[in-house]
Amino acid sequence: MSVPPHWEILHESVRGPGKAHNQDWYDVDDTVDGTLVLAVADGHGSAAHARSGLGARYAVDVFLHRGREFAARARDSGDLRQLHRDACGRVPREIVRDWRDRVERHVRKEPLDGVPKGGELLAYGTTLLGAVLVPGLLVAWQLGDGDLMLVEADGRIRAPLAPAEPELGDETESLCGRQAWDLMRVHWAPVSDPARLPRLLTLSTDGLSKSFAAQDGFVQFVREVDERLAAEGAEPIREALPGWLNHAGSYSGDDTTAVAVWRRPDDAGPSEGGPEAVPSEDGPQDQDRGTESD
Amino acid sequence: MSDIPGGPMESRPVHFIWILDCSYSMLGEKIGTLNYAIREAIPEMQSVAHDNASAQLLVRVLTFSSTARWHQAQPVPIDDFTWQDIQVDGGTNLGAALSLVARELETPPMPQRALKPVLALVSDGQPLDEWRAGLKAIDATPWGKKAVRVAIAIGADADRSVLQEFLGNPELPVLDANSPKQLAAAIRWASTAAVKAASQPVAGGAAGTKQLGPAFAPPKLQDDDDDVW
Repeated sequence: MSVPPHWEILHESVRGPGKAHNQDWYDVDDTVDGTLVLAVADGHGSAAHARSGLGARYAVDVFLHRGREFAARARDSGDLRQLHRDACGRVPREIVRDWRDRVERHVRKEPLDGVPKGGELLAYGTTLLGAVLVPGLLVAWQLGDGDLMLVEADGRIRAPLAPAEPELGDETESLCGRQAWDLMRVHWAPVSDPARLPRLLTLSTDGLSKSFAAQDGFVQFVREVDERLAAEGAEPIREALPGWLNHAGSYSGDDTTAVAVWRRPDDAGPSEGGPEAVPSEDGPQDQDRGTESD
Repeated sequence: MSDIPGGPMESRPVHFIWILDCSYSMLGEKIGTLNYAIREAIPEMQSVAHDNASAQLLVRVLTFSSTARWHQAQPVPIDDFTWQDIQVDGGTNLGAALSLVARELETPPMPQRALKPVLALVSDGQPLDEWRAGLKAIDATPWGKKAVRVAIAIGADADRSVLQEFLGNPELPVLDANSPKQLAAAIRWASTAAVKAASQPVAGGAAGTKQLGPAFAPPKLQDDDDDVW
């Protein structure tokens, strides 16, 4: 019987200064078998996206549902090839379809005044960033802005879902966009050696990374959080996190949300179980950062 | 909060660039009103900036006539910005002005970490040079593509088709200023609404998706029958 890794989970979301509602949403599902499903979403927030807080909530709910299903398939099946196809093709389509269904149901219940038919999705526009971690496999999905950061077991810091070209300004891709599933970026990382699981995984809305004055400020933030976690443990960071996010919000003007999962240095992770690892794999790798369409 | 990991935080800059026609046809009341209107708009720009602490509003001024030259070359925080009157001088070489703006929209000198810049073009005439080359240069820069653009046509002789092309979006109308009162209102609007639009998040924009309609719309300016250009 394998021992599931013990993940410390830290999370916080703060409302932007002067905003009536926080239009970010997040959730984490941490099961006893070592499966983690986590997501954050950032509703666009301006007048054209009046229900984007709800849209963000739907996005996270939908992701957790589909993420749990994916995790169950990953635990039950050793077929990495099929799981990879699912991650790149099926899951993005399911997420977008489910989100649209939820939005359309809500619009039927509470119609939007003055919005032409077909234009309702815009009001609920949101980004989505989510990850599923099961023994032997880490998969993450991203649509729109926000940041997924990994601190690997050897201390390297990576942003595997960062776009090839940095996005300028505040325009973002969105679940309300046309064929949004095609714009979803996917990080696929089988982990054959449990000791090589990332030791820290963070998901955050763009309000955090865009607040740093220095170009590498956010990477430095992740590095220092990792160091402080190792030195002080999770509790001091958990206590400080709301203050940090509020501070960031005062510069970005945005709602700010961060979810982090941290594996203690003495936790090597599960020793077996999960999808069959690729023999040649010696650590997490990006096998596909794009999406498949069918 | 000095112990926050990652180092200092600060709000992102909004680079606002006035692109002002100083050709001879602006002589007299037009240039006088333009100088007056921009000077009077500064407190309103400061007010917008103070209301939006997440943006640092930085202003530059470019004038064009027979040549294009920076009237205020360095980006100045709006709180430190003072207006020095501009003078008329020669023709309408808009293309030269747009080319100079394009150079400033490259990264560098523009930082990657910024909000969308604002380009506010004010003209009363027809360009005398290859203005499309300058516009193409702006459109070829990453920030130029994303810039919030406003265009004010002063008087009946302004070439509205050029200004419309500058806007690059048929849904965004050129603002007509046919009197001193209208010009003052147009400048006031451009100074403030465009800054607000630059700091709003917009869905779409990237990777082949269409921008979903204009983020802001110019006001209807009141007619001023007594004093029309």
